[in-house]
Amino acid sequence: MEIGTLLANLALGVSVAVTLQNLGWCLAGAVIGTAIGVLPGVGPVATMALLLPVTYLLPAEGALIMLAGIYYGAQYGGSTTAILVNLPGESSSVVTTLDGHQMARQGRAGSALAIAALGSFFAGCIATLAIVVAAPPLSRLAQQFRPEDYFSLMVLGLVFAIVLASGSVLKAFGMVFLGMLLGLVGTDVNTGNTRFTFGISDLFDGIGFVPLAMGVFGIAEIIANLTNRERRDLATSRVSGLLPTREDIRRSVAPVLRGTFLGGLLGILPGGGAILASFSAYTLEKRLSPTPEKFGTGMIEGVAAPESANNAAAQTSFIPMLTLGIPSNAVMAMMIGGMMIHGIIPGPQVMEQRPGLFWGMIVSMWIGNLMLVVLNLPLIGLWVRLLLVPYRLLAIAILFFCCIGVYSLNNSANEVLIIAAFGLFGYLLMKLGCEPAPLLLGFLLGPMMEVYLRRAMLLSRGDPLVFVQRPLSLAFLLLAAVLLLFVVVPTVRKARERAFRDGN
Amino acid sequence: MRCREAFLRFAWVALAASLFVGIPARAQNPAQNWPDRPVKLILPYAPGGATDLIGRPWAEKLSQAFGQQFVIENRGGAAGAIGTETAAKTAPDGYTFLLTPNATLSILPLLRTTPYDPVKSFLPVGRVGDIVGGFVIHPAVGPKTFKEMVEYAKKNPGKLSFGSAGLGTATQLRLEMLKWRAGIDILHVPYRGSADALNDLLPNTVQMMNEINVLPHVKAGKLILLNINYSQRHPDFPDVPTLTELGYPNSDVPIWFGILAPAGTPKEIVDKLNAKIVEIAKSDDMKARMQALSVVLPLQTPEEVAKHLEEDTKRNADVIRIANIKLD
Repeated sequence: MEIGTLLANLALGVSVAVTLQNLGWCLAGAVIGTAIGVLPGVGPVATMALLLPVTYLLPAEGALIMLAGIYYGAQYGGSTTAILVNLPGESSSVVTTLDGHQMARQGRAGSALAIAALGSFFAGCIATLAIVVAAPPLSRLAQQFRPEDYFSLMVLGLVFAIVLASGSVLKAFGMVFLGMLLGLVGTDVNTGNTRFTFGISDLFDGIGFVPLAMGVFGIAEIIANLTNRERRDLATSRVSGLLPTREDIRRSVAPVLRGTFLGGLLGILPGGGAILASFSAYTLEKRLSPTPEKFGTGMIEGVAAPESANNAAAQTSFIPMLTLGIPSNAVMAMMIGGMMIHGIIPGPQVMEQRPGLFWGMIVSMWIGNLMLVVLNLPLIGLWVRLLLVPYRLLAIAILFFCCIGVYSLNNSANEVLIIAAFGLFGYLLMKLGCEPAPLLLGFLLGPMMEVYLRRAMLLSRGDPLVFVQRPLSLAFLLLAAVLLLFVVVPTVRKARERAFRDGN
Repeated sequence: MRCREAFLRFAWVALAASLFVGIPARAQNPAQNWPDRPVKLILPYAPGGATDLIGRPWAEKLSQAFGQQFVIENRGGAAGAIGTETAAKTAPDGYTFLLTPNATLSILPLLRTTPYDPVKSFLPVGRVGDIVGGFVIHPAVGPKTFKEMVEYAKKNPGKLSFGSAGLGTATQLRLEMLKWRAGIDILHVPYRGSADALNDLLPNTVQMMNEINVLPHVKAGKLILLNINYSQRHPDFPDVPTLTELGYPNSDVPIWFGILAPAGTPKEIVDKLNAKIVEIAKSDDMKARMQALSVVLPLQTPEEVAKHLEEDTKRNADVIRIANIKLD
């Protein structure tokens, strides 16, 4: 792409993102994101699920800018709690606790916080640039995708989701499968038959994405948190001296660069995202370090790398969502939900049909990152005080908004019952150690896969060979097969388990 | 204490007065003061679709005309059956109406048992819009006119694919009507809504469609509009002939929208609302807003709407029988 069109696109983006309203939504997203990032037990997926119905009231641009802000905002906020309280505010900042909190204990909390925020900012800028450069050619390519290509790409995506899930492969597989089954409920597009509806007309259109996501993520998390004893009043360490030493900066440069690159790459992969990126970046730094035994005792590299990586990944995971309309993780599934509420079908055509929305959102990411540095560094004392709000009060407020939100989508009381049922179901899954994220991906991708499979078969007049005749489709399928093989090979499986254990 | 007594006395008087005055007055003529509180318009689809796009200007204009809020309630689900059922089962007091495309009335009940009767459950009030669209084809296929498309389809039976908004939707009926009248074979590919179908039409994965969302792409030169599926030409495409002009009379069956009241609603209220609908439909402002959506506004009395619904249902039943369209 020429520099000229690139600049024109960015100018359009700036004109959308820098209106007073959209700056406001961006700030709102960044603030909410930081807040829930700081608070352990409220994640971006749950928050976005709870806010989805509210976004219907906003213009599409404002809604998506805000939702995006929540995601990357949470990456900033999560590190604060991790460093100061030794609790991961966000699952993607789990590894930050290892060295970050040790630094805080040694009185270097300010340095750790500053490096985390600046590293995140740097990573955010680079990743935003990556989207600007990569999105247009990718979405042009995607416009040539036929149903069989989409189908094979989704097979690949689901295989990735299973391989990259942090827990047991078998459970991840089970969850994906269960999600696909739940996705089958409703009226079949090709025959008009209703499936698994038991004659209940509320189920004819299938289970709604918002009630399911809200239940499994939002409500279940609230139940789980309420069953835990509160243990947050540990937040006592005082922060002084927010300026990192020259030594800290010097040692952080390379880890930030490596973290940004690795995180950016892992963010694009289906099933990847911020959590995987931070784990991998930490492991990589440990491998490369001349003194790996010192990790866990307050090494600045152990803060710089994963914090840059998680933010880079949070940003680049927007690429497959924006260009293909395919969610690479649960957060992107939420973004897709947000688009669909506004009647926008996610896919390669969004960039052409809604260029203002597309580029505005991307520019807002950079603005949002800038806001977050300002929000996080000087105001750190304020955020830490958030930890003193008793969870039992927060929980009631969240539940309240949840019920109103879901009801207002379709004015249907039954959907409120559905979130209650899925809340209990999600809690059960949590107790069983099953991750709900693959469930959500299966729920979203399963029916899409079915539709594309049958559409491809219909268009080929019943010839299944189309899946291997199209070069794109064939490539995706082969890649998926290789990946699956790898998971089954024992040595690779052990390496994968070790990688996740290192972090924990 | 005195205060309380005074209040109690006042309450008694008020109660007695309402017993003697209020209730008989209501029973006498509920239509006279109608509407004296907000009116609900049920739309049987989710926000953002064509029904919503057409319904919102109507709610706005009716609110202005009556000085009472007409509030839209989106009750989507089950291809429109849930919202339509809700409207059918509310009290016929003149404060709840249904604004729906013909699909829930003259198509869905022919394909599936619905929890309402399209004729017995409702009183038609007015027709609030007809969609003016037509068949489009991807330019890479070759045919540039309707006639060429028919010749192409006859030479290559089953080679063309048509993307519809879904099974049993009005656009599928358009296709089946075309196949039957022109004697050609085109593959029907159902999508989830017209936006989804358009995504596959633009790269020529399917070759044809018949929805209003394709018209901007016709203007941009990316698709070819072959004909108009309406009794008159589209003002934005004055050179494109209607099906009747092309030699297929009685094939121009429009997708139309109506406002209906639950059966039992007082006739005075229905007439009052119809009069305002006709008045609004005549205004230039409303015409312009609807034309932007490729919608025209026919003026009809409640009786004419009822007759039109009956004819529409009969015509659709023929197409469904001949094309053998089935849901569960």
